[in-house]
Amino acid sequence: MVANEGVHVGGGGRRLMLPKSPTGIAGFDEVTVGGLPTGRPTLVSGPPGSGKSLFAVQFLVYGAVCCAEPGVFLGFEASRADLVADVSALGIDLDGLEQDGRLLVDTQSMGREALETGEWDLEALMVRLSWAVEKIGAKRVAIDSLEGLFAAFGSNPAVIRSELLRLFGWLRDQGLTTVITGERGGDTLARHGMEEYLSDCVVLLDHRVVDEVATRRLRVLKYRGSMHGRNEYPFLIGPDGLEVMPITSLGLAGQVSNERVSTGVAGLDEMLGGQGVFRASSVLVSGTSGTGKTTIAASFADAACRRGESVLFFSFEESEAEVVRNMASVSLDLAGWIERGLLHFHCERPTTLGLEDHLASMRRLVERVAPTLVVIDPVSSLSRGSSVLDVSAMLMRQIYYLKAAGITAVMTALNEGRGELERTEMSISSLVDTWLLAITIADTGERNRGLYVLKSRGMAHSNQVREFLLSDQGVRLVPVFIGPEGVLTGSARAAQEAAERAVELGLGQEASELAKALEHRRKAVETHVDSLRADFGAEESLSQRLIATSKAHQDALRRGRLEQGRQRTETPGADR
Amino acid sequence: MNSPSSPQAGEGEPAPELLQLMLFISGASPASTRSVRRLRDLCDRHCPSGYDLKIVDIYQQPEVVASRGVLAVPTLIKERPLPVRVLIGDFTDEPRVLAALGLPTSKDN
Repeated sequence: MVANEGVHVGGGGRRLMLPKSPTGIAGFDEVTVGGLPTGRPTLVSGPPGSGKSLFAVQFLVYGAVCCAEPGVFLGFEASRADLVADVSALGIDLDGLEQDGRLLVDTQSMGREALETGEWDLEALMVRLSWAVEKIGAKRVAIDSLEGLFAAFGSNPAVIRSELLRLFGWLRDQGLTTVITGERGGDTLARHGMEEYLSDCVVLLDHRVVDEVATRRLRVLKYRGSMHGRNEYPFLIGPDGLEVMPITSLGLAGQVSNERVSTGVAGLDEMLGGQGVFRASSVLVSGTSGTGKTTIAASFADAACRRGESVLFFSFEESEAEVVRNMASVSLDLAGWIERGLLHFHCERPTTLGLEDHLASMRRLVERVAPTLVVIDPVSSLSRGSSVLDVSAMLMRQIYYLKAAGITAVMTALNEGRGELERTEMSISSLVDTWLLAITIADTGERNRGLYVLKSRGMAHSNQVREFLLSDQGVRLVPVFIGPEGVLTGSARAAQEAAERAVELGLGQEASELAKALEHRRKAVETHVDSLRADFGAEESLSQRLIATSKAHQDALRRGRLEQGRQRTETPGADR
Repeated sequence: MNSPSSPQAGEGEPAPELLQLMLFISGASPASTRSVRRLRDLCDRHCPSGYDLKIVDIYQQPEVVASRGVLAVPTLIKERPLPVRVLIGDFTDEPRVLAALGLPTSKDN
């Protein structure tokens, strides 16, 4: 018997884990941390058409093929031929498995009700089952369904109940891992009150149609002695049968990248620490209509294609041609990238498929295209026909899936109505790494686009709003004017900027006039100084002349006196 | 286990088909024995023309249990004449048994 030991639950000490038998149903084994309880009965309950029989068959086939655990199928619903045909569509060859002795299919469609003539018990059923189990050495048993069985003995359910309890006791004693299917009764899980005894593990399947969109859901109601995912998980019946898409299956142990990728919007990278967002992170762009969400998303795509990377663009509201045309108006040449095989569009009406089908189809495409960036525009349209909760769960899985695959995710979300500005979008805003809020700033008779970075994990980011300009020159962010009158955008910003320029200009003029006046004054002073100096020069020369004259006069006088003296001292006879 | 058959050939009427029965019981339990005795007694009294009763022990022939789609014991399958009827229980509700087997409610009838 192949029994999955399960994961070791955290906490101190080693714990004995309940042995488990994997079902092979994608995702379910993760939800139940290993599968169904080995050697115990499990009730799979759900309305008609919810996939109970398929669950049972897959459980048996997986055991027979992959775990070397032969299985017995005891069916009361469909005829053998119908059952074989139904599951052959999923690639399961019941006849072949039965010939190999790995499976034994015992079907019985209960025609008329048997006529009761007295007391009876279900010993024959037990004999029949034990014979089949012994014949192939079965380890797994599926009984499909309780209703089919009860339909045969409608008049005396009490007997059946007690008899079935005996049967399940026997199955337990035999250590057979058993799946019993049953419809959901009015108030009780299985309308015959079997759940008490079967509460080792109870799995609910549901098939709801909300606003014309069908969604299958699975929930593990009880799992005695084991941890398990308690949420409601969407599942689908795909090409390989049941497929459950649990959030938990991806865990949070993904590798992280420190690589940053550009957003493609000039100015936005600067707001995000100058380098853009982390690779494999998730980006949510939310905002009301016409705030440029798609354009931002397309810019991301454009930037990725510029790097030579492949992009997958899911468009749920516009066709490929529309997106390409509209983006061309802001100089984003998506058509070129499509031609070069880098950009892949997938346009689909969100209501075409149920949510879980969307998720599956997205995954298939992601696997095929192997992009490095996925754009989902907009995620909010997926909520049409589904509850917000479903969408958020689905997106959560998608986000983790993409993250684990190293793919950057850019999602846009329409913010309906005039709710709070920072209303949690689809409850996924807490999951995303970077949340951009596109807003319209309506003031002074015009609407302008603005962009905030509400959060961006692991990087410094701007706390300020930027004005988001869309023009034929492309997409760019410019700082808004933040002044005493608040945030100004658009023409108000332009006007304010002009006013600032004017003031600056005015101040400049004043200064230059002052300078001129100063220059003028300086010149005047200099002129005055020159004239004074000239006056002084004149005075000086005059004075110097006078001084010189007076000196000459003095000299002359002295010379005259000396001459007189000489003449006196010379004798008269000495005249020669 | 076959009772001697003595078809009463009426003039101009086709001979009524022999009543063919298959009874599934669980071994030699007192309940099983009681059921067999009760059925035989009932048939002897109400079907003097004779009948064919096969008794299957589910423990001995489980594959027959599966092939005939039997779940409960005792189960009586009336194979002939058609239509096939399936009766479960220990035959304490005699009128229902007779009606299901198409036998007259009284041997006087």
